[in-house]
Amino acid sequence: MKRWLSYTHNVRATHVGLLGRSLLRVLVFLIWVSPLLASPNTTIVVGSKNFLENRLLAEMFAQLIEAQTTLQVERRLGLAGTQVCFEALKTGGIDLYPEYTGTGLVTILGEQPMRDPAAVLNHVRTEFRKRWDLWWLAPLGFENSYALALRRDRAQALGLRTVSDLVKVAPTLKAAFGYEFIQRADGLPGLKKLYGLQFREVVGMQQSLKYQATNKGDVDLLDVYTTDGRLAVYDFVVLEDDRQFFPPYDATALVRGATLERHPQLGQVLSLLTNALSPARMRELNLRIQEQGEAISQVAYDALRDLHLVKEEHQPATATLKESTSFVSYMWERRATLMVRTGEHLGLAGTGLLLGIMLAIPLAFILERWRKGAEAIIRAIGMSQTIPSIALLAFMIPLFGVGVLPAIMALWIYSLYPILRNTFSGLRDAAPSVVETGRALGMTEWQILRSVRLPLAAPTIMAGIRTSAIWTVGTATLAAFIGAGGLGVPIVAGLQLADVHLILSGALPATILALVVDSLLGWIERLLRPRGLETSQ
Amino acid sequence: MSTWELEARQISKQFPDGTCALQDIDWRVQKGETMALIGESGSGKTTLLRLLNRLVEPSSGTILIQDRPAKTQDPITLRRRLGYVPQDGDLFPHWTIRHNVCLVPQLLGWTTDQQRDRLNTLLTLVNLDPAQVADRYPIELSGGQRQRVAVARALAADPAIVLLDEPFSALDPLTRHELQEQFLSLKTQLHKTMVLITHDISEAFRLGDRITVLKDGRIHQIGTSQALIDTPATPYVASLVQHHLGLERK
Repeated sequence: MKRWLSYTHNVRATHVGLLGRSLLRVLVFLIWVSPLLASPNTTIVVGSKNFLENRLLAEMFAQLIEAQTTLQVERRLGLAGTQVCFEALKTGGIDLYPEYTGTGLVTILGEQPMRDPAAVLNHVRTEFRKRWDLWWLAPLGFENSYALALRRDRAQALGLRTVSDLVKVAPTLKAAFGYEFIQRADGLPGLKKLYGLQFREVVGMQQSLKYQATNKGDVDLLDVYTTDGRLAVYDFVVLEDDRQFFPPYDATALVRGATLERHPQLGQVLSLLTNALSPARMRELNLRIQEQGEAISQVAYDALRDLHLVKEEHQPATATLKESTSFVSYMWERRATLMVRTGEHLGLAGTGLLLGIMLAIPLAFILERWRKGAEAIIRAIGMSQTIPSIALLAFMIPLFGVGVLPAIMALWIYSLYPILRNTFSGLRDAAPSVVETGRALGMTEWQILRSVRLPLAAPTIMAGIRTSAIWTVGTATLAAFIGAGGLGVPIVAGLQLADVHLILSGALPATILALVVDSLLGWIERLLRPRGLETSQ
Repeated sequence: MSTWELEARQISKQFPDGTCALQDIDWRVQKGETMALIGESGSGKTTLLRLLNRLVEPSSGTILIQDRPAKTQDPITLRRRLGYVPQDGDLFPHWTIRHNVCLVPQLLGWTTDQQRDRLNTLLTLVNLDPAQVADRYPIELSGGQRQRVAVARALAADPAIVLLDEPFSALDPLTRHELQEQFLSLKTQLHKTMVLITHDISEAFRLGDRITVLKDGRIHQIGTSQALIDTPATPYVASLVQHHLGLERK
């Protein structure tokens, strides 16, 4: 056996060396990420949904906790929607996030809308405490309801003032609604049912885009948040909800009971914001972010300072203003952040891919020996490819919370199929007559696999790994939706702000990263290609 | 001890798909003899060869290798004792000539020095220059050179028995002729027991001490070339012989 090992070592010395080194790298990486996976007890994880007001509130919570307590704060901002935030909160992936009472009632509890704000608050408080030990703190003082809006001139031309007025003209109108609004019971479905609304066409559109689209006249109508600062900028009319469909949406912090128990000071500190924000103030703050391009951290700081809740020296890092600088200097200014994001991105994609390699290749070896079940198992794993990436990421949250761990799990699952398929068919189809000759000369099946099939399949296997790597690097941009960081963070934020520079500052490095990873793996592929095959290419 | 090196007794082979590859085969090869197996594709000649090194197991009957039932011998050990030359050479493309030739000695645990000596001897034996080819890859050699390497590989561990599966059929006529000549000289030098599959009657006559004619899984005749010419056992054998003689006359 020893002889055999040294023999194969001669055949492909690089094989063994590379494998050993990559294993080492995986271990180092796992040690590096492990502190990230387990947040220590003195750290409060603040989450938010992926729209600006929610981010702003979360940032205010975070800065408030930092200023008033000795606790560490970790920010997981911009998680994809209510479901992701709520699951993360339930499972302890985050400790708190800003939520709205109406959303708690209708979306989370799945109950009928109620009109009285106090009744709604009491109801969600009782139910959330009873079911999940989650606590609604006292409301912040403003309600951010849904409303339908359209351009003033259009409203006047059509003679619209209330939602009831809309019913008869709706079949001629094209509406742009947020994705969540289209789905939620307290959004479009309920609204259609109560008023009997039927639109000519409904398109799902991202928040800031639908304002632009409505303003340009591409669509007639949109859903808005009543605290949206843009309502003041665009000349839009909000239609009165005359049949009182939309429930009250009082904003406040939703916190885990366990966290409050562990850090009693947390509840006190957060209640400093009770009734501290009026709707007008909120619109003003939102506007500064939405239209003046001020950094969320800066606006959050200013709001807290005006309430005398933070001291001057706590001022966060300088805000970047949305100015018409050239894209190159824009990227240059953000180079430090981008380097960190690129590092995170590479970490996510790399770990997912390495775990994928570590599972898929041994599995392919097993399946190659056990052909009967192979096709079924490979197909089943292939099914994972048909799950939309964002959905797969969301599925991971109940199991692994939010952040790096579920993102890596999802990327891992994604990376499996191309590697498994290529390794399996590479091993199976490698030069059948040569394999048969090896057998006739007295090689054992294991020796054939190890020294004939594997080296001959190496180029095919590497091609699978390359495909997988490109997918993983691409999909990792979506990890930002579940708070795992990476180059998706500027992309997601840029989409919310309709800031092309910001989007590109994530998308461009992600593309370059994919190209670099691909050519790097291409180089390894050439290295692993058995020399005797080289000249035939 | 009989003088039979290889023996098939009452062998039948039916494949799972129902095709009957061999029926009631009684067949023997003497020590030091070269037995040519001739037949069309589907005649069962390859199956008979593969029964000898247990790549195929018989449905019924017994195979004896040097008087011991093949069934009682470990297939891996058995195969390392039987040299094998496949069609087309089928060298391992990712290994140098050195590695290809030294495969079986490696498997048997020879020392590096033993292997090097053997490599030089063998390559010289098949008319290749060790210094020139040992470290090259199969793709860098001509078809004839590759086939010589395959012969060297089969002889590497000095087996008493060598099985050759249409070793020269993929070569151009000139190279084939050259290798056949060399095969004959090797045969007289080495005194191996050899089984050589061919579909070319002239090759069978030239290289075989005796010839087995197979058709549709049955043996039509076993005998020397003279016996086949003088007393063909069946019309099929007669037609094969006629074909050969026709070629000779041209």
